[in-house]
Amino acid sequence: MCKDVLLRLRALFFRRRMDQELQEELQFHTEMQTRKNRRYETDLTEAKRQTRLQFGSVVSATEECREARGISSMEILARDLRLALRILIKSPGFAVVALLSLALGVGGNTAIFSVVNAVLIRPLPYAESQKLAGVSNSAVFSGQVINDWPLSLHMYAVYNQQARSFADFGVWTAGAAAVAGNGDPEEVATVTMTHGVLRALGVPPYLGRWFSGADEVQGAQKTVILSYKYWQQRFAGNGGVLGQLVLIDFVPYQVVGVMPRNFDFLNLDPAVFLAQTVASGAPGSEDSDYSGVAKLKPGVSLEQANQDIGRVLSIWGAENTEWRQTLEELQVKPNVHPLKRDVVGDVGAVLKILMGALLIVLLLVCANVGNLMQMRAHARRGEFAIRAALGASRGRIARQPVVESLALASLGGAAGLGLAYAAVRILVTHGPTALPRVREISMDSTSLLFALACSLLSGMLFGFIAFLKSGLTNGLQNARGASQSAEQLHGQNALVVTQVALALVLLVGAGLLVRSFIALSAVTPGFTHPEQIQTIRLFIPAAQIRERERAAQMQADILHQVTAIPGVTAAGFATALPLELEYHNGNPVSVEDKTAVGQIPPNRTIKSISPGYFGALGTRLIVGRDFAWSDLASPPRVAIVSENMARENWGDPPNALGKRIRIGTDDPWSVVVGVAENVCDDGVDQPPPTLVYFPGARRSVSFALRSSRAGTQGLLKEITAKIHAVDSGLPLTNVRTLSDLNRLAMERRSFVLVLLGIAAAMAVTLSIMGVYGVLAYAVAQRRREISIRVAVGAEPRTIKALFLRQALILTCFGGAIGLASARGVSTWMASLLFGVSPGDPLTYGVSSAVIFAAALAASYLPSRRAASMDPIEALRSD
Amino acid sequence: MTPDPSRLDLLQGTLDLLILRALRADVMHGWAVSERIQQISQDVLQVNQGSLYPALHRLEHRGWIKAEWKISELGRRARFYSLTASGRKRLEIETANWSKLSGAIARVLRMA
Repeated sequence: MCKDVLLRLRALFFRRRMDQELQEELQFHTEMQTRKNRRYETDLTEAKRQTRLQFGSVVSATEECREARGISSMEILARDLRLALRILIKSPGFAVVALLSLALGVGGNTAIFSVVNAVLIRPLPYAESQKLAGVSNSAVFSGQVINDWPLSLHMYAVYNQQARSFADFGVWTAGAAAVAGNGDPEEVATVTMTHGVLRALGVPPYLGRWFSGADEVQGAQKTVILSYKYWQQRFAGNGGVLGQLVLIDFVPYQVVGVMPRNFDFLNLDPAVFLAQTVASGAPGSEDSDYSGVAKLKPGVSLEQANQDIGRVLSIWGAENTEWRQTLEELQVKPNVHPLKRDVVGDVGAVLKILMGALLIVLLLVCANVGNLMQMRAHARRGEFAIRAALGASRGRIARQPVVESLALASLGGAAGLGLAYAAVRILVTHGPTALPRVREISMDSTSLLFALACSLLSGMLFGFIAFLKSGLTNGLQNARGASQSAEQLHGQNALVVTQVALALVLLVGAGLLVRSFIALSAVTPGFTHPEQIQTIRLFIPAAQIRERERAAQMQADILHQVTAIPGVTAAGFATALPLELEYHNGNPVSVEDKTAVGQIPPNRTIKSISPGYFGALGTRLIVGRDFAWSDLASPPRVAIVSENMARENWGDPPNALGKRIRIGTDDPWSVVVGVAENVCDDGVDQPPPTLVYFPGARRSVSFALRSSRAGTQGLLKEITAKIHAVDSGLPLTNVRTLSDLNRLAMERRSFVLVLLGIAAAMAVTLSIMGVYGVLAYAVAQRRREISIRVAVGAEPRTIKALFLRQALILTCFGGAIGLASARGVSTWMASLLFGVSPGDPLTYGVSSAVIFAAALAASYLPSRRAASMDPIEALRSD
Repeated sequence: MTPDPSRLDLLQGTLDLLILRALRADVMHGWAVSERIQQISQDVLQVNQGSLYPALHRLEHRGWIKAEWKISELGRRARFYSLTASGRKRLEIETANWSKLSGAIARVLRMA
């Protein structure tokens, strides 16, 4: 093997010398043979002729000798490659179009593949990640299956004792807490967890230790583990932080560890991890707000784990009749699922749509480049014929287009790789922030391999297309003047039909998204001018201000202070603003005379709000009055409901006034004093939930200030000054405008729209090029036929119509296939659509019209050229 | 030159065997090899001279024969070929194979 390579290398580098020697050797032979022939032939010329006849072709013998020595493949490849590059340089128009489209095709695919690879394909960055499972319950709420029904702490305790399928198990919940000491107080994201969670994930701490069972005991020293980022940021990466006490929500926590830099907790980015304390003995109220993480024991499947937990769940239910009832009524079942689903969420569908769209584009690129190459091959038939006559083997000639394809593909692929690298960087920095595992996205060896495979496969594909259609398959006799076989024409027509169909699919996809955006902008969300609404989250911990009344008074003071800022036209606060999904909550609300005794009433979104909240948001009161400050302090208790809530229960909004409602079944009744317009609380693309507002405050509220200066640093400074004038220790978080929130909510859809729009634009351009190319080629091919037609008196008009008709028939075919496929494909996009059905006739109509017009425009030029052809000239040239 | 029907074109692969056999005892250049084959076979076997050299180079590439430049009978440089050790082994194997094959064919022709 080694020797072989050496010989080949020698052959490659000493080619000239070896060729000379070969010439000498063959010449010697000829001389000897001529001498021998002279014995029978007196005439020297005749002797030489005999020798040549006996020897045969010197050129092919030389070629065969080279091949026998093993240079062949390498040297011929190098030579063909040189030729290919020369040809490319000599036709820059073709080279630029082909390389650019290839670079875009390969680059786009590689970029999206890098994302798909990082998010969907690569295993989670935890030890033995294939054994990791997310643990939740599934339950049926008023006919709707909810798959992520959370666990309670007591369930955790029972699972921990009884489950046989888990090697490690723990529960966690995300939240926020104020950290004080070492600088300004600030509110940070937290994850509170039992000790099994980090153990299951198996990522060792950078410093210190994981949580242990002892940290969970009630009354023990509270413990915290810092994220690497927060450790750097707040503690300047000081290793001495271990063992120190940190005030979190004004309670001292001891730092026991720091997680490593590359540790991501699922798709969250918390600053600190807090140890969950678990009450021993009889559980108090069941706070079910926990998600589970488990590492399955070796050999245990998810199915077995679900069976096992089903058994454990019934043990849990047996402890308490109420729980047992809940289990039965809500048909609670365990839901042990791959942990990846918790991390990745539903982004998989989005990525698959994009990947599919870009693959379509790559196919179009291949079809087009193949087409271009084929047209060039047609023009180069003469060259091929001459090479064949000079003794080039059929294989060598057939190989040339393949080599050219591969050269094109490699160059295009290399450019595409650069493009992909840039695109990935842009995706990571400017892509949707909600993209999970975004930190893991990078171009790795798998991406490189993908790009390589992409380029080579497309090179082979378009090389194949070019080869199929180049006529080489039919031998070289048609080097001159032969016309195309019907088969070739069919192949080309199929290509145009496919291109039109694929482009239409992409166009419909992009069109449906555009329609969704138009529909979204037409929604009345229940708030006005979100860009003018400044939001700030404020939290007053119990450890700082013990009495609720004083905390409430502070919030009222702050509200009065910030309302006085010049330029602020209205202000209010609420437990959660619209779109602040993280603070939303739902509770069953009973309606007097409507909710039967013993029945669990349906869940409503509950908000505690201040007077002025509706004014700040621009939410219209349909009937009744806003809350007054006096409503906060004293009975009678009052409430405001949303319009849909009023209609559901009392028919007409005015009927709601004076009716009584309450949370759950035991709370005191509240009287409805107003009905507010519906608010798209869960996002503009979601139906407005039924809302119930109560006057009042919680320790954690979001302020909303309406001002034309919202989002500016100046306003923010004034607000901070006012708040710190009331209490200098209060941390401010979620400082943003409501339109920022809206943008966040819309991010994923707009991300897909932009990429799909680009893909569709490319696809339409490519199919225009395709239609034009095929038609131009057909015109060139049928030049003689046209000339004869013109010569015998055909009108230019009829000639033009001939080609336009061909283009139209093909486009109609492609359009029909495209529409049918688009209808099939668009159902996959249903989750991204809003206010438009996947089969929206307008979108399909407009997209078809666009494709149709584009194809018509593309076919006009070649048709006109055909019509204006000079028959004498054309006939003579052949 | 019209093809002589009594002369046989060589079977694929047999040329290698004949070259190895021709070189068994002597060191010779390409033309001599072709002459030798024709002589031994009493002109029955016609070596296509055009395919002789690729075969020589192929055998050299495989290491069964080796070549060196020497002065020829014309007083000029010529490329002389000789058998290598592995070439000698190869010749034995090929010869055995050939006898087996030709014996078998002869039997079939007799029996059929």
